[in-house]
Amino acid sequence: MKISVERTGGIAAMTRVWTVDARSKTAINQWEPIVEACPWDAVPRTPRAAAEHFAGSQPDRFIYSIRAGDRRAALPERAVTGPWRVLVDRTRAAAQESGAGQGTPALDSRE
Amino acid sequence: MHVPFCSIVPPYLLRRLARQDAPEYSAAARAAREALGHVGSFQASRTQAMPDVPSGLRHAKPGPSNRIIYDAEGSETLPGRLVRKEGEPGTGDAATDEAYEGLGHTHRLYADVFGRNSIDGQGLRLDATVHFGKLYDNAFWDGTQMVFGDGDGEVFGRFTASLSVIGHELAHGVTQHSAALAYRNQAGALNESMSDVFGALVEQYVKNQSAAEASWLIGEGLFTPEVEGSALRSMKAPGTAYDDDVLGKDPQPDSMDSYVRTSADNGGVHINSGIPNRAFYLVAESLGGNAWDSPGRIWYETLTGGSLPTTATFSVFARATAAAAVELFGSGSQEHDAVRQAWETVKVKL
Repeated sequence: MKISVERTGGIAAMTRVWTVDARSKTAINQWEPIVEACPWDAVPRTPRAAAEHFAGSQPDRFIYSIRAGDRRAALPERAVTGPWRVLVDRTRAAAQESGAGQGTPALDSRE
Repeated sequence: MHVPFCSIVPPYLLRRLARQDAPEYSAAARAAREALGHVGSFQASRTQAMPDVPSGLRHAKPGPSNRIIYDAEGSETLPGRLVRKEGEPGTGDAATDEAYEGLGHTHRLYADVFGRNSIDGQGLRLDATVHFGKLYDNAFWDGTQMVFGDGDGEVFGRFTASLSVIGHELAHGVTQHSAALAYRNQAGALNESMSDVFGALVEQYVKNQSAAEASWLIGEGLFTPEVEGSALRSMKAPGTAYDDDVLGKDPQPDSMDSYVRTSADNGGVHINSGIPNRAFYLVAESLGGNAWDSPGRIWYETLTGGSLPTTATFSVFARATAAAAVELFGSGSQEHDAVRQAWETVKVKL
């Protein structure tokens, strides 16, 4: 199971992506409860939907796009609480430990 | 009789004065209504930069700043523990004291230059929280206060180190209390650009730098020495602020030719802001002198004049700045020409 957390926005607008690839049985057993604890069906799947869902943007705050296998979620920073916060923090820590944290451009296209 | 009055008070202030119906402003309101009739002749005769507006003629006299700094002590709970309030001496903590001074400098720009009484125009207390979160590499405005992280120590140091960033966050409050530009797509990029413009002006005003002397960098000094870059953004040359192996290259476009379509960052609000940022710089460069004078007044009037829609596009905003330049300085004035030329250069249609 591949888990990724993409963080965009912030005053610096630098995109950061942290990924974890849980392949071994031990790793899957470790990550599954963390992923399952998140209410995936109750939140928007895309940043655009998240902007409409969560009224009242706070300028310069981060926006998170989270994936775990086929599941997707997009949340403004202030909604990354409870199990979402655990998933984001654990993914970030594990990715940084393995050197998989990175800054990448998140531009869809230029015209 | 009122021509001398008219000659030193910009029309947008006259309009506001004219709308005052409180008894204490009745004489000023009447004078303003009469003076507005002479604006045309005032504009036609104008050839030099506008002199400062005497504080006694402003629509509301700005009061002194009222600042409170809190310390989140590494938590993400706001506002945190009160560590310094107005009039108290420095604490010795760099983030606390930088935030306190930065709020004061920002309040001073709005009061001295634009006659604005704090960010809401009504003397709002300025609250800020420092030491927010752990290794938190951001600063933001939450709708009521500013929040500053200490940085992760690898890419970013503490966010209070840059006065333009402090001014940037407070300007979000000014925008919220004036044009209330939506924080998405082009309106969001304009919202961001307003914060960069007034953040840069705070820094230039404190340093008493002319447009030619200023760096036009936003967030200078935030990066650690390990990063190949000078700042978060360059208003003078968008897209050139950093170019780093890890962070990549500054993605800001400098004209509509390279406008970025993206779903990230609320539709690229921090990216496409490079276009209106450069337009402001070009106006300031063209007019010379201090950017907080004529260029700042044109942008400030556009933001606070009451006619800008919350979903304004770049073109709508550009037309509003041109209209403000005409209102303040007259059609065909050098200020009006500078505004038109700037938008043409960045390829935003008027």
